[in-house]
Amino acid sequence: MSLLARLLEPEALSLVFQPVFEAADDGGGHAVHSFEALTRGPVGTNAFAPNVLFEYARRKGHEATLDRICLENLLRAMTLLPGRVRCSFNVHASTLQRDAGFAAHVLERAHTHGLEPSRLTIEIVEHAPDWSGRGFLRALGQLRDGGMRIALDDIGLGQSNYRMILDCRPDYFKIDRYVVQGCPTDTGRQAIIDSLVVLARKFGARVVAEGIESRAELTAVRLLGVDLLQGFLLSAPLPATDCSALLSPAPGR
Amino acid sequence: MHRLLIVDDEESIVFAMTRYFKARGFAVDAAREMEEAQALLVNYQYAAVIVDLRLTGVHGAEGLDIIDHIRQRCPATRTVLLTAYGSPELEAEAKARGVDAVLRKPQALPDLAQLVLSLVEEAE
Repeated sequence: MSLLARLLEPEALSLVFQPVFEAADDGGGHAVHSFEALTRGPVGTNAFAPNVLFEYARRKGHEATLDRICLENLLRAMTLLPGRVRCSFNVHASTLQRDAGFAAHVLERAHTHGLEPSRLTIEIVEHAPDWSGRGFLRALGQLRDGGMRIALDDIGLGQSNYRMILDCRPDYFKIDRYVVQGCPTDTGRQAIIDSLVVLARKFGARVVAEGIESRAELTAVRLLGVDLLQGFLLSAPLPATDCSALLSPAPGR
Repeated sequence: MHRLLIVDDEESIVFAMTRYFKARGFAVDAAREMEEAQALLVNYQYAAVIVDLRLTGVHGAEGLDIIDHIRQRCPATRTVLLTAYGSPELEAEAKARGVDAVLRKPQALPDLAQLVLSLVEEAE
């Protein structure tokens, strides 16, 4: 059986959730803001690693199919999460551009699962250069009008550039681990984080620092004004059943 | 530790090569098709890639497409092309596209390992 056939089998993909925490500490620790859903490919295959999984799907021309499967898995798993906790999930810009029905599909499936779209944030990722177009912008508008929020992933790398910021008008700027890791001792990285925080404020957006793995990085990004924190120092990705233990009474913004 | 990618659609060959090279201290990944190999090459740095000329697919010479991909994106990676359909013309084309070595299948694993090791050490 080809790898693609294995990926498209029911239950082939698994889902874990990495919490995103508020940077502000009210004395009781960092409250959970939301969870990012992360998809893993079949165990024992190269596609278990998500970067290989999505690159492979893209090269096979099945990005949109995979994005739809991931969405369905997420919505099903969210029914296991308590209360009104918010989740984000990754979608390729190219899927929004090429799959004309994707945005309506997201909203329809959320409704079917009894989930308010306002609990969902769509994280735009893109590694291919041909994402931009009217379809992409129309889909973003539909999702936002439906109540969803928009995050821009990997800001500063690849296709997550100023043009993408202008097109997406994200509610969340996610700073990639490449910028975050090493920032306590690197004035260049500090300058980039500082400038992104200033830029995000002007867009009315909040800033997430990804890949925090040390206490020094946590302290540095908080001093630089980052709003939200994500990384192994705070929590590794968790199965849905383990998320409840982290939740304070009022998760969310 | 050198990281090696084996690209072949014959499961028995992948199994034997993977076991042989792992036993000799290589970190080994294996791909059965072109897109899987490319997805790995985009994400990881390999010291060497052993690729079969013909994989299951529509082109008939996907191995050369993978070689092109490697030459463009990972010039430091050494490449060995395996083929059961060798000819002077094919060898010339493969060399022109930047392959470091072309070998006929079947190839004795000790000889293959010796070649891969010498190519990798030469590149260091």
